[in-house]
Amino acid sequence: MIRIRGLRKVFPPDKLALDGVDLDVAPGEFVMVIGQSGAGKTTLLRCLNRLVEPTAGEVLLNGSRVTGASPESLRSVRRQIGVIFQQFNLVRRVSVLANVLAGRLGHVPGFPSLFGRFPRKDCELALACLHLVGLEDFASRRADTLSGGEQQRVAIARALAQEPKVILADEPTASLDPKLTESIMGILQRINVERRLTLVVSQHMLETALTYGTRIVALRQGRVVFDGPPDAISPKTVEDIYEGGLR
Amino acid sequence: MRRDVKRAALGLAILAVYAWFLVATEVSLPRFLRGLPWMADFIRRMIPPDLSVLGSAVTGALQTLQIAVVGTTVAALLALPLGFLSARNVVPASIFYPARALLNLFRSVDTMVYALFFVAAVGLGPFPGILAVVTYTAMTLAKLYSEAIEGIEPGPVEAIAATGASRLQVLRFGILPQVLPLFASYVLYRLETNIRAATILGFVGAGGIGFYVQTYLRMINYPAASAVLLVLVAMVMGVDFASSRLRAHIV
Repeated sequence: MIRIRGLRKVFPPDKLALDGVDLDVAPGEFVMVIGQSGAGKTTLLRCLNRLVEPTAGEVLLNGSRVTGASPESLRSVRRQIGVIFQQFNLVRRVSVLANVLAGRLGHVPGFPSLFGRFPRKDCELALACLHLVGLEDFASRRADTLSGGEQQRVAIARALAQEPKVILADEPTASLDPKLTESIMGILQRINVERRLTLVVSQHMLETALTYGTRIVALRQGRVVFDGPPDAISPKTVEDIYEGGLR
Repeated sequence: MRRDVKRAALGLAILAVYAWFLVATEVSLPRFLRGLPWMADFIRRMIPPDLSVLGSAVTGALQTLQIAVVGTTVAALLALPLGFLSARNVVPASIFYPARALLNLFRSVDTMVYALFFVAAVGLGPFPGILAVVTYTAMTLAKLYSEAIEGIEPGPVEAIAATGASRLQVLRFGILPQVLPLFASYVLYRLETNIRAATILGFVGAGGIGFYVQTYLRMINYPAASAVLLVLVAMVMGVDFASSRLRAHIV
C-alpha cells in the first residue's frame, strides 16, 4: 500500500527531521507512529502526501510515485489519502456538511463545485459519513459551534468522504481529553476493521498506541528504532524510544 | 552625555522645521480671529434655508448615492482578483511584488484627481465620477483584501489542499469562507467613505450633489446652498448609520 525508501527531510538551514526512513505499510494495517516530540512523527506523516516536501528518498502509494509526481498526479494521489489533523482544521464559518463535502472536491466536477454545487450522490455520501461518526443531526450547524471532540469527528467524516485508501492522522487526540481520546480512537479502529482502511496514526500517548495499533513504528531522531506488533515492545525498548522517562 | 547633546540637537532641528512649516503656510491666529465675524455673517446669511430647492438637492443627493453604490460595487468585484494576486501566501514573489507596487502606485492618487482625469477623458456627468470612484476604491480594497488573506488560518487551507482539491477549489473553499465577512465589512466602510468623496465630485463636473453646492455658493445664493447642505448631511448620516448597523451584523 505505502512504500517508503530512504526518506530524508532537512528543514533549512540544517534541522534534520527524518534521517533515512524505510517502511512498508500493507493494506488494512493500523500503524501507530510513536516517539518523543521532535522525533519526526509529524514530518513523516506530512511527507507521505507531500504537505511537506521531502529532501530525498521515495514514497509510493499503490505503486504510483508520490515523490516527484506532477501537480496533477499529486492531486490524484492526495485524493486517495484522507488526513486528520491535531487542530481539526475545519473551516469555521461554514456548515458541518460543507466541511464534509470538501472531502469530495477531488472527485466532483470542478467548475460547478466553485459555485457550491455538488451532485446529489456526493451530498448523500457526505451525510452517510456524518452518520458514521454520529453527527448527522449537526449537518447544518456552523462548524465552530461544535465542541473539540465533535469537530474532530467532522474531520474524520471529511476524510472518509474522500473514499480514501489510506487515512493519515497526525496526533488526532492531542487536543482532547482522555474520554474523547477513547471515542476518537474507537471510531478510527472501527473504520480500520469494518472498512479495511489502512491507517497511519501518530500518537504521543504510548498506552493509547499500544491499545489500538496493530503495528507500532517508533521514531527517534528521525530514524525507525522499533517496528513490530504492540506485544513485542519490551520495557527496554520503551526506555530506548523515550530515552528514560515516559512522556 | 554626548547622547543628550545629540538628542537636544535633534529636538531643536525638528522644532526648526516645524516653525518653518508654520511660517511657510502663513498660519496666523490674529488673521483667524479677524475672520470670525465674516464666518458668522456667512452662516447668518444661510438661515433660513431656501427649501424651494429641496427637489434639485434630493435629485443631486440621489445621484451621489448612485455614484457611490455603483462605483463601490464594481470596485469590490475588480479588487477580488487584484487582492488574491497581491497576497503573499497565495502567489509567488514574482507576482506579489509587482502587484503590490502597482496597487501602491495607483493608491497614491486620490479619487478627486482621477475625477479630473476622467472628466477630461469622457466628458461631464456622473459616469466619470463612477470611473474615479472605481479606480481609487478598487486599489484600496485590493490592498485591504490582500492583508485579510495574509491573516487567515493556514490549517483549514492545508486540509482542503490535502483532499486533492485544485488550486481554485482551495481558494474557494479554504480561503474565501475565512475572508468573506471581512471583505464585506471593508466594502461597506469604503461605501461610507465614497458617499463623502462623491459629494465633492460635482465640484469638478463629475456629477452628484456637489454640483448644486458649488453652483449656489458661486451665485451667492446662501439659503439655497444651506438647503442642499442639509440634504447632504442627512444622506451621509443615514448611510453611515445603515452601513455601521450592517457591519456590526456581519462580523
